[in-house]
Order: sequence, then structure tokens, then C-alpha cells
Amino acid sequence: MRPSLRQIGSNLIELYWDEKPNDLLLQHILSWELAIALQLGTEVLEIRKGFQTLTCMLRSDLNPDSQRRWKALLQSNINALPLPEKVWEIPVCYDQELGKDLNALSKSKSISFEDVINLHTIPIYRIHFFGFLPGFMYLNGLDPALHFPRKSVPDRKIEPGSVAIGGAQTGIYPNESPGGWHVIGKTPTILFDQNENPPVFAKPGERIKFLSISLEEFYCLSKDSKPLKSND
Amino acid sequence: MIRDIGFLEILKTNPGTSVQDLGRIGLGHWGVPISGVMDQRSFEWINHLLKNKPNAAILEILQPGFKCRFDSYTTIGLSGAKAEIRKNGELTSFNLIKIVPGDELEIGKFLSGSIVYLGISQGFQIEVILSSRSNYPKITKRGMLSKGDKVPFFTTQSLAEETFASVRLKTTWFEESILEVYPGPDFESLSNDNKTQLLNSKFTISTLANRMAFQLEELLPNSIPERLTAPVFPGTVQLTSGGKLLILMRDAQVTGGYPRILQLTEGSLDILAQKKPSQQVKFQLKKFD
Repeated sequence: MRPSLRQIGSNLIELYWDEKPNDLLLQHILSWELAIALQLGTEVLEIRKGFQTLTCMLRSDLNPDSQRRWKALLQSNINALPLPEKVWEIPVCYDQELGKDLNALSKSKSISFEDVINLHTIPIYRIHFFGFLPGFMYLNGLDPALHFPRKSVPDRKIEPGSVAIGGAQTGIYPNESPGGWHVIGKTPTILFDQNENPPVFAKPGERIKFLSISLEEFYCLSKDSKPLKSND
Repeated sequence: MIRDIGFLEILKTNPGTSVQDLGRIGLGHWGVPISGVMDQRSFEWINHLLKNKPNAAILEILQPGFKCRFDSYTTIGLSGAKAEIRKNGELTSFNLIKIVPGDELEIGKFLSGSIVYLGISQGFQIEVILSSRSNYPKITKRGMLSKGDKVPFFTTQSLAEETFASVRLKTTWFEESILEVYPGPDFESLSNDNKTQLLNSKFTISTLANRMAFQLEELLPNSIPERLTAPVFPGTVQLTSGGKLLILMRDAQVTGGYPRILQLTEGSLDILAQKKPSQQVKFQLKKFD
């Protein structure tokens, strides 16, 4: 599973895997990210991840010397490290009051509310990377029964904490944002705190489990929005 | 040295005034955009004139109709778009202006370019959040400044003379309409017709142009499928399935799913930042060495 290397800007270089996103690919991506940080870290300002890509923004423009170093790194053998074991439990209230699109999704897919909630809370989702909004986790593992095309006209305002489905993906909006995903619930948990370092609690490779809570529990937890359980 | 705080009070502004520095570098893996000044060249120039540190925060002003008052001694500097500047009601063409308490500064009509930078001795001193002072919605308390806001600075009765420095930096550089670009990861997926159109025609900046992205008016009908979400950067040119071309600017999100067909050079990004809707640009492909 060796990546290919491509330059995409004067100081942008990208490792690319022509593979379907899964845990094994993520293991490789995270292991290569670590190898780059260790071996060429001084050249890199920022490393960003996608489902099949690892993109590095460099301190200075690539030149024949640095290109040689990157090519050499690409030739080395990187051991794929195991993924972390940590699972974060995130409480979600799947009530129509908070999940505005729950009814529409349930009707249009002919799945009862209960089954939508079951299908959404049973899997343990893998965090692949953060993107889209500060603290937005790209999760892998949505049950195909819940795949649902994005709205053709995005909503102007989706509230922070909204748990939503868009295409083959599910995620949580950490901030208020326009968005084309279908909101099925809401979490009281704060996903991004700009006054903390790091501003997010979870890391790529770790996992997320949604726990269904009642409206009462939601309002109760909203007063103290930081209780997050993990398995260690 | 005791440094007293002075304030610039905004008396009047249209939307699009913000404090910016070079932005939040190195936090993209948490989904944090870089932000920072749209036109780094004008930013660097004004901090150079003011003998500031390279990352000193400035005010970025995207629209005419700005007015402010200073309550303390300082020196300010102006760069970027050429605009009608009035100090206490009188037109001035100085780039460096000495300020005494009570002075009012007004930025009127933009004559060329689309962003005025107002720098200040030692930079504006708003809170640093995640390594930068750049306003960005949800990360800083506010995304933009509005009437009544007071922006802090260190007051100084500096010795700098008022100077007219534009001889040393012509602003004609941003009248350039050629944008240098590198091929993006999906460039080779374009059809030959697409490539010809992309590189041989002019594109018009639409009114959908803001700190996140500039959308172009002309469409590029294409058959490239959407991609799995991948990193994007300021200067990335995305192509939607509907053929819309989006050039991502400094507040762009860190990842996207549209094909990435081009990547602007830093210099071209500065040029584009100073363009207005209805102005035209042309892409010129650069090869990697």
C-alpha cells in the first residue's frame, strides 16, 4: 500500500493512495504522517489529511534537494502502526425538536424513528480526520441503510451540536454553519473549544459511539457540556 | 518600557472590516482555516514601512465608507487599494500618518484595488487565539468589526515622519490580470477541451467573492466526478460538477470534495485579492521544475 507522491503547488506536496477508505488505509496514512513528522518535520508547516491523501504545506518552495529527500522517504519502508483503542461516547438526543430532518429522512427511507436511532447508535465510527469546520470529524462507518443524498438547497443555518447525515457520511456540526446535511439529532457536547490546546478532545484513528439520550437528559447535560466517557 | 493602550474607535464601517495578521498556520489538522490577510504583499509592505514585526496585526478594510477616531498618539500606515483618504476631513496622500489624540481618519472611494490595509505602529493588540489575532467567525468573538468597536494598540509618540512612500511600491502590480497557476491533482482528469478553455479564455470575477472564496462567472462544463474529501488551501481552484470555478481564499475551509484543478501561486493570490467583481483574469500554467 505504497502511496504515490505528487506536487500540487510550489510548497504543497501530497501523498496519495488509490484505495477505498478503511481502517487499513487510515493506519497507513497515520503511520506516514508520523514518519514525515519525524524525518522531514522541520520542512513542514502543516500536514492535512483527507480520506486518501496526506498533504504537506512546506516552509519553503520545493527545490531539487528537498524533492530528493521526499522521494527517498517515499522509498523507505513504513510499518503500519495499530490504530488507537480509545472510544469516545457522545450523547445525542434524537428528538424531532432537535433533529429537524428526522421525520423527513424516516419517511423518505421508510425506516421508523426507532430504527434510525438504532442504525445510527449501533456502529462505532472511526475518526479519519478533521475538516470542513474547526473540529468537524470525518467519520467512517455509517450503515448503508442510512445513506441519504445531501439536500439540493443547503440550509442557511445548522446549529452547533447538530448530528447529521449527508450522503454516505455522518458527522456533528461543532459550530453554526450553513449545511446540506440532514439533521437527525443534537449533542450537548462541545466539540471545539478555541481556548483549549488542543481545541478538540479526540484524535484521528480514535472512535466515536453515539448514545441516545432523552430531551430531559439533553437539557440537563447542556448545563455541563463536557462529560465525555472514553474506554480508558 | 511602559506601554499604554490606546484605542481606535470605529465610527462608521461597511461589512468586511477585520483585524488580520498572517493567520493560523499549522492547525489545519483540527479543521482550523489559516485566515490572515488576503493580500500579503500589501500587508508586508505596511509593516515594513512602520518598522513593525512581520506579523503585526493590521485592519483589513474591504469596502469604502470607513471612518475611525484615535484616542492616543501613534503612527499609522496605509497600503493596498488606492483610496481617497481624509484625515480630519482633509485629503491626504501620505502612506505614513502621524496621529494625535482625537484625530479622525476616513477612507472614501477606492480608486484602484479592493482592499485597504490600515497598519499601526507595533500592530493592533487584540487577543491572540490559537496563535493568531485574525478575526474568524466562531474562533474569535467576532468575525468582523462594526461601528462602535474599539481596537487596542500601544500608544507611541514615534519619531517617524509622514511620508509619501508609494514611489517605492507601485500599486500597478495588482492591475495584472494574469494569474500564475500550477496544475492541481485533478488537472489531468480534465478533457482537452476543458484544458483549452481553462487556459485560453478570460474569466470574470462574480459578485460571490468573499474572504472564503471567489466564484468565477463563466462555467466549465465537465464530467469529473466529485472526489473523496481531500485537503484544500488558499489558492486552490475547485471545479464543481455544475461547472462552477471556485478560487479558495484565506478563510477557506481546510478540506473539500470538489476536484482540485489548479493551485494559484502566492503572488497570484495577492493579485486576485485586490480584484473586484466584473474584473477579468486569465490563468497561466506554470510547470513544476
